[in-house]
Amino acid sequence: MAFLLSNGKELLMETAIDFGQPLSVLIVEDNNIDRRILESMLKERSDYTGLLKATDTLEKTLHLMDEYEFDVVILDLNLPDSHGEETLLKLTKKNPKVAVVVNTGAYEDRLGLRTLSIGAQDFLVKGKYTAYLLNKVIHYAVERKRFEMELKQAYDKLKETQTQLIHAEKMKVIGALASGVAHEVKNPLATILYGVTYLNETLANGDEKVKTVLYNIKDASNRADRIVTDLLDFARLRQLNKEKQSINHVIEKTLSLIKHELDQKHILVKKNLGADLPMLEIDLHKIEQVLVNIMLNSIHAMKHSGELMLTSEVITLSESIEEIPTLHRLHFTPGQRVVSVSVEDAGSGIPPLALEKIFEPFYTTRRADGGIGLGLCVSRNIMDIHQGSISISNREVRGAIAKLHFKI
Amino acid sequence: MDRKKKILIVDDEKGFTSMLQLNLEAMGVYEVRVENKSERALQAALQFQPDIILLDVIMPNMEGPDVANEIKNNQLLKGTPIIFLTATITIDEMEAHNGRIGGHPFVAKPGSLSDLLESIRRNLLTAY
Repeated sequence: MAFLLSNGKELLMETAIDFGQPLSVLIVEDNNIDRRILESMLKERSDYTGLLKATDTLEKTLHLMDEYEFDVVILDLNLPDSHGEETLLKLTKKNPKVAVVVNTGAYEDRLGLRTLSIGAQDFLVKGKYTAYLLNKVIHYAVERKRFEMELKQAYDKLKETQTQLIHAEKMKVIGALASGVAHEVKNPLATILYGVTYLNETLANGDEKVKTVLYNIKDASNRADRIVTDLLDFARLRQLNKEKQSINHVIEKTLSLIKHELDQKHILVKKNLGADLPMLEIDLHKIEQVLVNIMLNSIHAMKHSGELMLTSEVITLSESIEEIPTLHRLHFTPGQRVVSVSVEDAGSGIPPLALEKIFEPFYTTRRADGGIGLGLCVSRNIMDIHQGSISISNREVRGAIAKLHFKI
Repeated sequence: MDRKKKILIVDDEKGFTSMLQLNLEAMGVYEVRVENKSERALQAALQFQPDIILLDVIMPNMEGPDVANEIKNNQLLKGTPIIFLTATITIDEMEAHNGRIGGHPFVAKPGSLSDLLESIRRNLLTAY
């Protein structure tokens, strides 16, 4: 056994554990001697350390992290341009996937322990480690970080699934409720409307007041019918009539549908539609409905005149798929190529409180103008059953941006 | 002059059937009979011998599609056109189904009287 020999340390280094792949290591240390000690210990075995870089400020560290992909950073917390825990926080914010081993001064065990709770995988106390221990610590740190990332990924996935399940359950309840309400409300409405039709034919012969009364009854009944119909539309995940479509063609069709509203408000449409976009398997009418909803919202947000910017392009999703809202993230995979459509306006933007509720049923900021608050809800459902996504946010400068993502 | 076409309305909503009857009779070309109990629809149809039947879908005791089956399976009535009236299907869905449930045309409730009249006219034409 290794520790039977007097020179146990050396033996451990010679025969010790096969750590597998050599690591890429970044040493961040502003003390030259400490840095050199680390370097020499890491270079002792070439199969333990692959890429090895060293630097002495946080700023240079962040630059190096842009340039290279490190498995582990050995970090001195007190640098010329950053001190204490702040150094660790800035580094993990830059790259949450990198393992960090904090290199603390002697008698700083407490600080070392504290760093474990804010993102470090382990800590070393200067002067109290050997080459073997150092190599072991950094390899273990990398493994721990890998498990942590896997766990986090599993947790995120679980969260997404839970969000989707809650949403699906909600939709099921609303669907059942909507069908029941529709039947019970539409029947009496039919009675009222046929009654009004009959009275219009037989009574309205001259009396303007009677005509007005009948007109108002009919108008109110039709409005109630529309609300129930919208609720049905919203609640039912109906079968899609999918066909191969060019999204640019759908955008152009939508523009012709809302031409009246665009002209009325003198809205200028700017198009940046990608050429040679792949055809999408979508339900033309449903996607048209989504585009009409978001474009009309944009038009309403602009008082008089303004610009509506439409973009279509192929993009590659990031590793974290953060471009996609949580609810729809399960539909996509990291690095997937998707068609992205965005609708931007230069309107009033969306207040933060409204942004949170924008997709909730019956939430509207335009109730006085006859808004019911189902348009975006229906749109989200449509994108959901297309296995796509919809998101709405404020632009940095002015106005709002709605984005749709479609699988190719 | 042609005899009046006979329309049988089968629907459990009394208010609705009464309004619909008033409107159809006001046209002067239809003779209308109402049956509010769906389980009596077959008997009513055998007695009245309608040219067309307007049939609600969701009714207590016996639902519209079952009534339609009974009528289709009856030797004397099997050629009689049926139009479903339904409050649970929207106009969009109607279009998606090409306006038919189980082979029969249907009209959304509430809908305009003119749409219903057009459907009645079209189905009477194809029946003869």
